[in-house]
Amino acid sequence: MSRILRTTVLVVLGVVWLLPVYLLVINASKSPATFTSTEAWIPTDFSLFANIADAMQLSGLSDSVVSTLTYAVVSPIIAVVVGAAAGFAIVALRLKHGFLWFVVIFGGTVFPLQMVLLPLFDAYSRVGLYDTQVGMIIVYTAISIPFSAFVMRNFFTGVAHNVFEASVLDGASTWRIFSRIYLPMASSALVAIFILQATFIWNDLLLGLTLSQSDDVRPIVTTLAGMQSTYGGAQMSTVLAAAVLVSLPTVVLFLFTQKFFARGLALGQY
Amino acid sequence: MMAILQTPEREQEVRGLAEAPHHPARRRKTPYQGAARGFIAPGVLLVAVLLYLPLLWTTFLSFTEYNGLGDPEFVGLDNYVEMFTDPSFVGSLMNTLLWVGGTLLIPVGIGLALALLTWNLPGGIWLRLPFLIPYAVSGIGVGVIWSFILSSNGALDQALAVIGITDPPRWLVDAPLNTFVMIIAAAWQGVGVNALLFTIGLQSIPKEPLEAARVDGATGVRLFTSILWPMLRPLTAVVVGLSIVASLKTFDIVLSMTKGGPGRASETLALTMYRETFVNSDYGLGSAIAVFLSIVTLLASVLYLRQQLSKKHEM
Repeated sequence: MSRILRTTVLVVLGVVWLLPVYLLVINASKSPATFTSTEAWIPTDFSLFANIADAMQLSGLSDSVVSTLTYAVVSPIIAVVVGAAAGFAIVALRLKHGFLWFVVIFGGTVFPLQMVLLPLFDAYSRVGLYDTQVGMIIVYTAISIPFSAFVMRNFFTGVAHNVFEASVLDGASTWRIFSRIYLPMASSALVAIFILQATFIWNDLLLGLTLSQSDDVRPIVTTLAGMQSTYGGAQMSTVLAAAVLVSLPTVVLFLFTQKFFARGLALGQY
Repeated sequence: MMAILQTPEREQEVRGLAEAPHHPARRRKTPYQGAARGFIAPGVLLVAVLLYLPLLWTTFLSFTEYNGLGDPEFVGLDNYVEMFTDPSFVGSLMNTLLWVGGTLLIPVGIGLALALLTWNLPGGIWLRLPFLIPYAVSGIGVGVIWSFILSSNGALDQALAVIGITDPPRWLVDAPLNTFVMIIAAAWQGVGVNALLFTIGLQSIPKEPLEAARVDGATGVRLFTSILWPMLRPLTAVVVGLSIVASLKTFDIVLSMTKGGPGRASETLALTMYRETFVNSDYGLGSAIAVFLSIVTLLASVLYLRQQLSKKHEM
């Protein structure tokens, strides 16, 4: 196919693909007073920020934003280091039965999340972790570890073993070799894992729905789902504005880090 | 949840300090076994306590009658029998199969087409962008947008009215139409990532056979069927495996758009499991559905895990 034809097809398809985004933005921008769903395609006014402010106030979304941001930053950071440590133990320190241990860690992701929901809910209730931020951070960390270990093991396998041996000759401890040589060397892979896991956690519904209930613990997507089902006393335009607010960070992060995304996807992917 | 896809060139580029990978069997253990155990312990512990223990507990509960109060009472296979004789579970299973089929046909197909269209096209990266935006939106976000578009007299109905269709179907009410339109919504979200994966695959195809084929005059369909498609096969297995596994777990878009309704007409297995467990407090039945879902997911995973394992052996 000629270049022009290909480009034309892609542009037309691309415009079609963006229509829902267009509808979302213009309707999320209508003030509740002028909002009528009978003119969905025509923009009327621009009250997006007022609607977002309303959404934040009405349904505790502002509390959710803060806690979700915490989960999406803290958990992947811990998971990346823990996963890298596992990869380091297996590849650089040549842990006995290393591959078996790797399979043990990686196998944790093969099962659907549905298998762990109920026992986690049950156990969290008993030990006082239900509906706490610490509880959410722990569970998000745990589910991010297998992917991190997988990518980091792959990455470290490509590092010459004499890097490790030379450091030993220089008298460095294993911790020092890990934190000063192996971790910095892997920074691009670490960033790739971090971005993928942060996006995943930001967009999580199931764990949030199961393990939390109060506004300041509930992840943002769960709050949005709650708003939608009851409208939380909110107008349609407010719900749409909330959807914009919830979606914007991941879309922006994704577009600015496409390179890392592609890399993360190439290494091991969702 | 996760799959594996390694393109040799990309790997090499990422590794930086690359050298030929050691064969695992030929590795000698270092004298740092104590330290090594220390480094791997946090990962193993967290995964064991938060993923494996719950997994075992769910499996156990699937053989019991339990509502969260008192002790689980062992009932053997009763939950599984109840599950398969419940017509709404069977409906939920059929919907899930629809999801699997639809997700394979639409997002994977369009994704491949997009990758081929943008391949070697100047500005291809920018032309792919519109398709990637929905991928970063959460399932609930997608649900909110599409519920709005598909609501009665919503954006779609208004557009149809312009071309004279004044009596449109009730998109989210009539089954199985509601499942079909939700699959379209999911496709809107998922096409971009499939396109990206196929693009990575296309980029990793070695140049020589392509040049040779071009010199021989292979273009268009011929080039695709005789060179590109066979070379993309390993990647296609991965994308297909991923799509199946993801569609088996379909939850948030359905929860957001129909809540599985009307009645239970558009429920998927993941939603049925959630409702039985957390709404009806029938922990045993909910666990049995989770176990069933896991077994099917595991079987589907074999599709792409086999691909990965065979690569491992080559190394």
